[in-house]
Amino acid sequence: MANRAVPQRPNGQTPGKICQFKLVLLGESSVGKSSLVLRFVKGQFHEYQESTIGAAFLTQTIHLNDVAVKFEIWDTAGQERYHSLAPMYYRGAQAAIVVYDITNQDTFERAKNWVKELQRQATPGIVIALAGNKLDLNTMRSVQTDESQTYAYENGLMFMETSAKTSANVTEIFKAIAEKLPKNENTNTAGQGRRLVDSAEGSNKSLSSCCK
Amino acid sequence: MTSKFSKYDEYGFVRADDFDYVEYEQFMSVYLTVLSKRSMRWARIMTSNPQLKKTARLKQFVRKGIPLSLRAQVWTSISGVQKMKDKDGPNLYKQMLNKPINEDIKNIISVDVPRTYPDNIYFYPTSENHAALFRILYAFAAQNPNIGYCQGLNYIVGLLLLITKNEETCFWLLRVLVENKLPDYYSKTMDGVIVDIEVFSRLVKKKFPDVSQHMTNLDMPWALVITKWFICLFAEVLPIETTLRVWDCLFYEGSKVIFRAGLMLVKHYRNELLACEDIASLAECFKSIVQQPFSLNCHVFIKEMFKNIGSLPMALIDDLRRQVSAERNADKSTYKNRKG
Ligand SMILES: Nc1nc2c(ncn2[C@@H]2O[C@H](COP(=O)(O)OP(=O)(O)O)[C@@H](O)[C@H]2O)c(=O)[nH]1
Ligand SMILES: [Mg+2]
Repeated sequence: MANRAVPQRPNGQTPGKICQFKLVLLGESSVGKSSLVLRFVKGQFHEYQESTIGAAFLTQTIHLNDVAVKFEIWDTAGQERYHSLAPMYYRGAQAAIVVYDITNQDTFERAKNWVKELQRQATPGIVIALAGNKLDLNTMRSVQTDESQTYAYENGLMFMETSAKTSANVTEIFKAIAEKLPKNENTNTAGQGRRLVDSAEGSNKSLSSCCK
Repeated sequence: MTSKFSKYDEYGFVRADDFDYVEYEQFMSVYLTVLSKRSMRWARIMTSNPQLKKTARLKQFVRKGIPLSLRAQVWTSISGVQKMKDKDGPNLYKQMLNKPINEDIKNIISVDVPRTYPDNIYFYPTSENHAALFRILYAFAAQNPNIGYCQGLNYIVGLLLLITKNEETCFWLLRVLVENKLPDYYSKTMDGVIVDIEVFSRLVKKKFPDVSQHMTNLDMPWALVITKWFICLFAEVLPIETTLRVWDCLFYEGSKVIFRAGLMLVKHYRNELLACEDIASLAECFKSIVQQPFSLNCHVFIKEMFKNIGSLPMALIDDLRRQVSAERNADKSTYKNRKG
């Protein structure tokens, strides 16, 4: 596991590690990407969430045992034509959440296209989670859980149904991703590799030294 | 001047929780004098040059700010709306409202209307502004099937509505912006924006190489920061009064004004940007500088952006645009060839 070799501090406390990961959100417009981020980062929900133009950047840290996982979250615009900007945003991402709206079959098809594109063109080994959002609108559902589950399984994706509105599974999906991301290797995959910083050092000057 | 004590500004936008009332009051105490002086001068120019023919003097006047009460009229005159109306006929707006458009486009517009300026008191579900916003975007999509609707246009039209209070005027101003003043930002491939992002990054490299290097070092793509600047023409980015002053010049001088405003931000906040040690703080810094006192003080901001950026001829921007486009096309064709 990640921190087996971490030395003990004189006071006996384990100095935590901070692992930073770039995570990108992709998916059709108005499926709830920005709302998921807002829920995860600020614990809020807006009925009229402003549409994202270009991309938005936020960070949030979660703690897994003694590792602090800091997500650099890149939230993107969903309208089809913004697609040509997307590669600039997902370049170097170590994780992605591809979002669709469970009440809208088209958005599920669009999500599949994003998955394909990521698997072909993004960082090799990128961890992809599929999120079927707006779970609170279960009565209006048009994408069945089984269908998504099977698709996710066949394509090696993590999968959860979420609701930014009720906050169901929101922290959970980020946490599941954090658990799955490798935290103890030195190898860089592509682009900016994962960057691991000893929190005791405070800054990112030891970028090249990963968790030992 | 009640607005300095109000939760809402004079355009109906709710002020942020951390709005700096002290700073704003200081700025307004000076700016109100400027405004009344400008109004008197404008009253005179409206009699001496009622057609608002483009002259060096008028250009200077526009740079110093158009009074709010004259904005709709002056924007219409200086941007060339009349020429468009002469060509397409004055009934175009009504005709376009009756033209059927693609259902998907209609749906995206419907989704975006209620989430345009949700914090503004003049925009709320069932408000006349919501209905007007929908109609303008609809008519524009009908008139420009190649563009249809691009997210971001809602913010531009929303602001136009708040200023002109006339939906037909908004329609024509939107057309003149998109069809005459800007490259193809809003097309289905958004090529114009992608090119201008790269042009901007090259201009920064030339004028502020240390900032450019810093962005590269922290692995921060310009696209993350400035896409919205270009697409929304600083609406929802800069403080409202500053955005309107940029638009005054944009309607007169065209798209190079956007580069000037962007470069001005980089120049003025260079030290703050250079002090950021990682991508997260840099992103945060870009978000905060656009709301800081210098950005709020529109009069100084605009003055400095014309004085202190150095020369920025349209020819240079056009050259860079051509260069970047050519490189993109070359990339695309090698990619195609490689693919077989
Ligand atoms: N009922 C419900 N509405 C949601 C949920 N998530 C987002 N929304 C709404 O869907 C609309 C679009 O959300 P947004 O986050 O802007 O979507 P984005 O375009 O993918 O970023 C907004 O009006 C949200 O309030 C959810 O889980 N349940
Ligand atoms: Mg969004």
